[in-house]
Amino acid sequence: MKYLPFVFKHLRRNWVRTTSTVVAMAVCIFLLCTLRSVLSEVDSMLEASSATRLVTRHSVSLTFNLPVAYESRIESVPGVKAVAKTIWFGGSLPAKKEGQADETEGDSTTDWSKFFNNMAVDADKFFPMYPELTIPPDQWKAFRETRQGCVIGSKLAKKFGWKVGDRFFLESFIPPYRKRSGPFEFEVSGIYDADLAKYPGTDVSTMYFHYEYLKEGVGREIGVGTYALEIANGDQAASVGKAIDALFENSSATTITETEQAFKASFIAMAGNLAFLLNGIGLAVAFTILLVTANTMSMAVRERRTEIGVLKTLGFSSAHVMGFVVGEALLLGVLGGALGVFGSETLLYGLSHAPGITEILAGMGLSGLELKPAVAALGLFIAVALGLFAGFVPALSAYRAKITDILRTV
Amino acid sequence: MSTMVSVQEVTKVYKRGSEELKVLDSLSLDVPEGEFVALMGPSGSGKTTLLNLIAGIDQPTSGAVVVGGRNIAVLSEGELAKWRSHSVGFIFQFYNLIPVLSAVENVELPLLLTKLSKKERRERALTALKVVGLADRSSHYPRQLSGGQEQRVAIARAIVTDPQVLVADEPTGDLDAKSAEEILKLMETLNQEFKKTIVMVTHDPRAADRAHVQRHLEKGVLQLR
Repeated sequence: MKYLPFVFKHLRRNWVRTTSTVVAMAVCIFLLCTLRSVLSEVDSMLEASSATRLVTRHSVSLTFNLPVAYESRIESVPGVKAVAKTIWFGGSLPAKKEGQADETEGDSTTDWSKFFNNMAVDADKFFPMYPELTIPPDQWKAFRETRQGCVIGSKLAKKFGWKVGDRFFLESFIPPYRKRSGPFEFEVSGIYDADLAKYPGTDVSTMYFHYEYLKEGVGREIGVGTYALEIANGDQAASVGKAIDALFENSSATTITETEQAFKASFIAMAGNLAFLLNGIGLAVAFTILLVTANTMSMAVRERRTEIGVLKTLGFSSAHVMGFVVGEALLLGVLGGALGVFGSETLLYGLSHAPGITEILAGMGLSGLELKPAVAALGLFIAVALGLFAGFVPALSAYRAKITDILRTV
Repeated sequence: MSTMVSVQEVTKVYKRGSEELKVLDSLSLDVPEGEFVALMGPSGSGKTTLLNLIAGIDQPTSGAVVVGGRNIAVLSEGELAKWRSHSVGFIFQFYNLIPVLSAVENVELPLLLTKLSKKERRERALTALKVVGLADRSSHYPRQLSGGQEQRVAIARAIVTDPQVLVADEPTGDLDAKSAEEILKLMETLNQEFKKTIVMVTHDPRAADRAHVQRHLEKGVLQLR
């Protein structure tokens, strides 16, 4: 510890260089932590998927719906236990709530700041497939019996302060799901929750309502966005999926059936290979920072050659001198790492609390986006490791430097 | 007077690629305790090499270097570093103070290797600065001091661990006449009042005159004069 002030003094010698290196390191750790947090959230979302649940969708794109007639044909495939129609509604609040005078009444413009994930489902078939979603029996009964009824996740209820019996309006940004008379009106029939300790990553920020209500509202056949399936045996997922897709191979709407996990992953992958992209960026940044820090330390050692000779002359061992250089590099790493972690924590906190953005993230299934302690620790570890690697070679050269060689060049 | 430094049949050969350069050739030298010796000679005569061997920052190819009764020619690099920290004080031509440290922090530097407390280290460093007459400049940084003052801080750093031997490599070589005179007076004081054994390399005859004994080297051999 008595050497620490000495190491600090050296870092202050060229404060512009030190500051830029710390900031560069901080940016690197900031990016790593932020990207890692996004990936971690995506991973936990995927982990929450059941092995016995499959999803059948249009083979071209999620934006194409499948015929309603496919439901009974899919049900007939051996191994399939249940099939439920689902449609991603894409609705958002038009800032209108019953009992409140609202100046935007009648305005159908989508309010993205209040966007959240909402889906029309075949409730009687859909919810039994998701035992992790728990709804009090009386609320479930009320939901089944109420045409405009919906169930909302506990997180969503907390966000908007909704309780059972509250009414609100939603309007989809997807034209086929709009009705001429204005937004759809809903009543909160129930609030569902999940045991997140038992089912980590379960989404409790989505709203589900009746498929039939949507169909009646738009006044025509709307097809099915995706079919949610439950199969008897998770080991047969591939063969069952293949059998279903084979059924519609020669139709105008061919299908892709995949596990729920693969479906979610492909949904996320619409933006490209997210994991590869994020990891690639993180690695490239880390490597660049390694070079920057190594260069800083090399320059610092090079311009202090005489001082290294003096320290050794005064009786400091080669290990001491090496320790000073490594110590400086580690300090750069710790300072940059702490700054980067702090920056990432600030950004993620801001995103998860900023009006508008929170809902968009929730809509993407990233409602739990936060800097987890493990990710922060990983960021700090990488920062320290970068400092250590960057300082090692210059430190080794300081270790090996012979006093007589150094002093001869003074 | 007992012998403080005894250089016995020392040969030093440097290798430059395949070429060997003999810098010191079977050189022997005895420096009694409390002596002030000036080593003189032309460039390349081996005086700095001899000084480095006495200070334990280099090792001879053959022969023995006994300082304070210990043959330092057989010590490992780590043992030599430890020995240097308490047995020898080195004064450089260009002072070689650490620019980011204040005068007192520079003087305190060798004491970081001791078990002294922070307070004790600071007290000793201030005492050393008082000895060289710079107690009032303790918080000044090297850039705020003149060349002579910097050299005095460097001398304070050399004596702060109370070593038996001081070695000085052209300590006045970078100073004006007035500052050089002050430094030489200080070295005389250290020799006479504090009984330090001093071995000084110099080109300056006036500096050499302040020493009790002058020894001349030429081509790695001590000359008899």
